[in-house]
Amino acid sequence: MTRYTSRQELIAALADDLEPVSRINARHGAALIAFGTIVAGAACIAVFGFWTGMLAGKASPFFWISNGLLALAGAASAAGLAAMGVPKVGLRSTAPLWSAGMLAVVPLTAIVLFMTLESGHSHDHVGHLMEPTMTDLKCAACSLGAAAIVALAAIVYLRRAAPVSLDRAGWLTGLASGSLGALAYGITCPLDDITHLGIYHVLPVAAAAVIARFLVPPLIRW
Amino acid sequence: MLADEPTFARLMQATQKGDKAATNVLLSEVGVWLERYFSRRVPPHAIDDLVQDVLIAVHTKRATWDPKRPFLPWLAAIARYRWVDHLRRVYKHDSKELMEEDAVEDSDEDVVMARISLDRLLVQLPDKQSEVIEMVKIDGLSIREAASRTGQSESLVKVNIHRGLKKLAALVEKAE
Repeated sequence: MTRYTSRQELIAALADDLEPVSRINARHGAALIAFGTIVAGAACIAVFGFWTGMLAGKASPFFWISNGLLALAGAASAAGLAAMGVPKVGLRSTAPLWSAGMLAVVPLTAIVLFMTLESGHSHDHVGHLMEPTMTDLKCAACSLGAAAIVALAAIVYLRRAAPVSLDRAGWLTGLASGSLGALAYGITCPLDDITHLGIYHVLPVAAAAVIARFLVPPLIRW
Repeated sequence: MLADEPTFARLMQATQKGDKAATNVLLSEVGVWLERYFSRRVPPHAIDDLVQDVLIAVHTKRATWDPKRPFLPWLAAIARYRWVDHLRRVYKHDSKELMEEDAVEDSDEDVVMARISLDRLLVQLPDKQSEVIEMVKIDGLSIREAASRTGQSESLVKVNIHRGLKKLAALVEKAE
């Protein structure tokens, strides 16, 4: 960066460089993240096909609850992320944290069910916790892949905007992209038992948050 | 004399539209404001570098200011960000991980910022609490005067001040 010998010299250079700008606000961020989610969903449908069973009444209640919570967590964290692109002082929204807490109920339920049913020697509905199949692992990987598309949109917005808390931006990027990516992939997956959804669809959200916490801040530093 | 919030806001709107003369004035005034902001936070020899850093940041990120929101909190958030970044660089060789939370806000903050922050906090209190806090703790009225002006009993004024201050403390702890 050029260091100017006097402040007036710098100001003159900056003023000389001035051009009109279009304002950036939180709505742009929300729109970009929504667009990323739609692209991720379209890509998943193109590759795996839309699961029509959900419209034919074949989906279990777990399917709707899990994906509903993913949508809520994604919306809350995306809104928080979009808002933090604009510098301000004031209260931080705790909505993303609470929505992530609600989402955590799904994998916790799967684990508790596994433990209680394991002690009763019943493996119905919870078979894949200890022995994941290739399909289970594929779902986790594809959810993370879809999350990467959403994260890309979030990073594009954050680089244009001015986030002043990079660590929080990293967490929220992971939480938003992980939730919305899992949701985008979830509409193609016919496996709707609680263990599969809790462990292989929802748990990758936590992985996405941790990965983004470390990868995103260097990409959006300004 | 330091420019006030409406002046800053007007100049910034003109800057966003590409008015070079307004930008010159705005950045000069912002520079003065930043000198005061950093004077309590960094050694004197580092102030000018930081001010230049923030001026460049203000110029680069000018599109992110929303005219519907006040200018000074926007500027303060950018200044604080650059300050934390500066502290990270300075203390890097000490192997000390400096978190954003280490940038403790000064209690003797600039008067303008303090007033803005206070107004933003007071609106979150019930009217009965905020009005007696303003009268007693800011305007310097006695409990009796506040009681007669608001129609509350003296003991209720004390209770409302106590409850309001407690809530304000909780709000400040949660603030960025």
